[in-house]
Amino acid sequence: MKRISFIILFALTVVTGFAQLDRSKAPKAGPATKLNLGDYTKFELKNGLKVIVVENHKHPVVSFSLSLDIDPIYEGDKAGYSSFTGDLLRAGTENRTKSQIDEEIDFIGASLNTSSNGIYARSLKKHEDELLDLMTDVLYHPLFPQEELDKLVKQSLSGLKVQKDEPQAITSNITSALMFGKESAYGEISSEETIQNITIDDCKQYYNSYFKPNVAYLVIVGDVTVKEAKKVAKKYFGDWESADVPKHEFQNPVDLDKPIFAMSNKDGAPQSYISISYPINLKPGSADDIKARVMNQIFGGHGFSGRLMKNLREDKAWTYGAYSSLNPDEHMGYFRMASNVRGSITDSAFVETQMEMDRLINEDVDEDDLTLVKNAMAGSFGRSLEDPSTLARFALNIDKYGLPVDYYETYMERLEAVTSADVKEMAKKYLKPNKAIYLAVGDVNNIESLMENISGDAKVVEYDYYANKVARSGLPKGLTAQKVIDGYIDALGGEDHLKSIHDLSMKCTMSIQGMNLALNTYQKASNKICVETLMGDNVLSKQVFDGAKGSMFMQGQKQELQGDMLKEMEYQAMIFPELQYSELGYDLQLLGKDKLDGKDVYKLIITNPVKKETTVYFDAKSGLKVKEVVNLPQGQGSSVTLYSEYKDVDGVKFPVVMSQTVGPQSIAINVNEVLVNKGIQDEVFAN
Amino acid sequence: MSKIKNQLILAFLLVSFGMTAQMKPINFEEFDLDNGLHVILHQDNSTPIVNVSVMYNVGSKNENPNLTGFAHFFEHLMFEGSDNIPRHEYSNYVEKAGGTLNANTSFDRTYYYEVLPSNQLELGLWLESERMLHAKVDSIGIATQKKVVIEEKKERTENTPYGDILELTFDRVYKEHPYRTAILGNPDHIRSAKDQDFVDFYNTFYVPNNACLVIAGDIDKAKAKEMVTKYFSDIPRGIKEITRPNIVEKPQLSEIRDTVYRNVQLPMILQAYKIPALGDDDYYAVDLLNNVLAKGQSSRLYKQLVDSQQKAIQVSSFSLGLQQPGVTLAFAIPNAGVDNGEVEKAMYAEVEKLQNELISEREFQKLKNQVENDMVNGSRRLATVAENLATDYTYFNDASAVNKELDKYLAVTREDIQRVAKKYYTKENRVVLYYLPNSQKAN
Repeated sequence: MKRISFIILFALTVVTGFAQLDRSKAPKAGPATKLNLGDYTKFELKNGLKVIVVENHKHPVVSFSLSLDIDPIYEGDKAGYSSFTGDLLRAGTENRTKSQIDEEIDFIGASLNTSSNGIYARSLKKHEDELLDLMTDVLYHPLFPQEELDKLVKQSLSGLKVQKDEPQAITSNITSALMFGKESAYGEISSEETIQNITIDDCKQYYNSYFKPNVAYLVIVGDVTVKEAKKVAKKYFGDWESADVPKHEFQNPVDLDKPIFAMSNKDGAPQSYISISYPINLKPGSADDIKARVMNQIFGGHGFSGRLMKNLREDKAWTYGAYSSLNPDEHMGYFRMASNVRGSITDSAFVETQMEMDRLINEDVDEDDLTLVKNAMAGSFGRSLEDPSTLARFALNIDKYGLPVDYYETYMERLEAVTSADVKEMAKKYLKPNKAIYLAVGDVNNIESLMENISGDAKVVEYDYYANKVARSGLPKGLTAQKVIDGYIDALGGEDHLKSIHDLSMKCTMSIQGMNLALNTYQKASNKICVETLMGDNVLSKQVFDGAKGSMFMQGQKQELQGDMLKEMEYQAMIFPELQYSELGYDLQLLGKDKLDGKDVYKLIITNPVKKETTVYFDAKSGLKVKEVVNLPQGQGSSVTLYSEYKDVDGVKFPVVMSQTVGPQSIAINVNEVLVNKGIQDEVFAN
Repeated sequence: MSKIKNQLILAFLLVSFGMTAQMKPINFEEFDLDNGLHVILHQDNSTPIVNVSVMYNVGSKNENPNLTGFAHFFEHLMFEGSDNIPRHEYSNYVEKAGGTLNANTSFDRTYYYEVLPSNQLELGLWLESERMLHAKVDSIGIATQKKVVIEEKKERTENTPYGDILELTFDRVYKEHPYRTAILGNPDHIRSAKDQDFVDFYNTFYVPNNACLVIAGDIDKAKAKEMVTKYFSDIPRGIKEITRPNIVEKPQLSEIRDTVYRNVQLPMILQAYKIPALGDDDYYAVDLLNNVLAKGQSSRLYKQLVDSQQKAIQVSSFSLGLQQPGVTLAFAIPNAGVDNGEVEKAMYAEVEKLQNELISEREFQKLKNQVENDMVNGSRRLATVAENLATDYTYFNDASAVNKELDKYLAVTREDIQRVAKKYYTKENRVVLYYLPNSQKAN
């Protein structure tokens, strides 16, 4: 039997009497108070079950908590089976159906929760016998009925749908998978598929292998004497048979060697749920534990004093709350900072957080801040003792993690001893801004470019709920091919301006393999065209279309255009066919978003009524056409045209610098003159 | 400045059950200062901590309809400091003393508390008296907190699946009563409010004659009294008129049905019925009726809809205990692929059974056992006991109501449960809300 007591250390000043009220100063603390940790009792049954008892008779309540101390298990293509086993434990026994268990528990106003790791039961003292009867029935005689598993599968499938909308759930999945690896106990994710693979035998197997007294703790807290507790433990848990329990090797994750920039989509989210996560090797109760907690508390601990809260909320008003947590673990722990921030400052919130990390790593914490945090932690420790189960938890930790028996007795002293040098050392060791996962869950249309602002050379990767990479279509919500075309028309000068153009002549120079050619194009509404290529004054070739008939002249030969070629000419002859794509019967398809010379572009396939496809790229920002690709017939490759410069003529933009590549051949085209509405004679288009 | 508000569904559940007597009566002493401040002392020396809290009798229902969101906004502003407390220092004083603090706002009241090591009682009183006497209500604090509150609104209602169900429901249940406005208010009102509006609100409501101070925990009552006098007696009584809305909502004459679409995957089917205020005998009968429907896995809605018919993955039914006539709510999240109308019908079927048949003696005993258990657990934490005392004083002008609540529940009979099922769970008194995924929107 162990008894622990000590005194709160931060209350040293003694005030006597009540002096004249001086409001300008905060009153000093009264005489130090004693904080009595209380007693706990620990014993072990013959079958290896370790029992911890904390007596507390203030309220007529008693609780029994059974927990298994087993290795983390990788469940693979049946991920979720251990958790299902926990749920099914109370879904029917040899003696009671699930309905009977539910009714009997509710009848006494008690709670009975089962999980993969144990059973928790609590009731008023006067119902203790019924409670233990139910608890042990569930522990020893579960039936694992098939129909209950079927129900659970169905509910879990629906539950998954809800979870997929929750930024926290998305974050937990993606960061766990990236930190620990999807093929590991800590990183795997149960999915529609793995849930449906689970069988009753998997659950029975898990139950039969791991629910053994020699790997279990029974913690009894409340209105019970130690003597009673011993009797109860023996009576209800003494015959539970021990057996060897399988061990599992923990695979340590590979350290991140550089930051990862990730995002996940939540359509139309006004905020981004941002997080910074990475694994840390910090064991519960290790020498660094308290020091590292102090450091984390200064950085982003709960309450209002954390630097993240002061910076992101009180100073910038970007968020309602911003916190970080340091999670020690027997095998591998992790650090996580998280906050819901206004979507438009997703990048800045990360930058400020990084800055706060750097500040802790590089600068000393001032003594005032340190004292504040230490006192806040000491106070929190003191308040936690209001609940008698806290002491039971301490006793359990001492045994489970092999801590010194006076670990909690000396907690305050060790907390008090933490210096600002310790904090800096811990920051250097456990704050890793350069080896972290930066994840933003929000509307990816809005946050992608923000994430790119902070990702440097690294690519920003989108992940889905299952931590699978998402091929970025990158298209803004609601964007359609027609909207891209509308945007193009607007960018050129708007529908009205474009419609006001009745004729157009363009004079260009082309340079092909050192040869200089001139190219003149004449167009007249609604669909007349003449294109001539000249070398010096010699016309090398000429194509005309007068609205009905078309011809091609080459080296003095005339060829009348027929069939598809004629039809094709009809569309080429239009000055701005974009204005009437739908009436003409064009087919438009928006393929997605792409990058061209570092700029975002939308990619469309435009198919004209004679089924000729052109792939066209429009700059996402300016809306202008920047590239066109046409596949040539009979496997002759493709022709690629780049539009690199536009010029305004009478309120309408025309491309003036272009290049065209056909196979190995590249042609540079410069437009020297654009004339609009100057009146072109119909003879120009004569066949 | 606070982080945790009581306006979430579960928190409301706790409030309705939390404000209770325990088996052993809660002992307390109370007195008034000359300026009208009501003081309640509750001594419990089992842990060396003390709870200092102030409940102001102002909630969102007291707001000017053109300046909504003020009560909650003040809950933020009141951490900005005072004439003697520099900006950002209010919480530092508490945390440095090893304490914790927060606040919350409801339709009916605003509540501030500190839990401190018991030798820091005087600090807690100084802080609360500074807040009451001359809190900083200035343009810097107002500007910052305006933005924070707008982010809070997004986080709570827009970025949380189903986060806006309460405000959607209340907006449909109430036509005239200020409960129809969300506690967080209309962001435009907060955005455009002038600094003077905030000053006026402070001078009206943050006065000793509109407040109740509770000190609970490891105290010496005589010394505590002396300290209260020292810090609070020189705070002047408020002179502005405090308006208390006394709007009686007209009875609803026919069912109200509505559908909203949100970015969620599964629909939620929700029904709300108007019920009496907290304190009314029928309130407790309705509360027990809710327990029959949805408390524990043996409850009727759970058993039928979730367990046996598997029509829903989640069901809930609970009352919102308000100072003026409130609402009881039931909702279900249908299992994937189940017709919404079918779920709604199945929910009514359970209510109809309660209207047509008395519950069994055993089920009735279960309700009593559950209430007893909840009462005992509700009085385990000092902070809960303190808040219950403050609430009962503020709502009923009677702190001793904490010791009478169990009797109120135990006075309910099986017949009462049937009677309230018939009286309040009528089609005419019902608001039905279909909260559907955007994907179910007919194009």
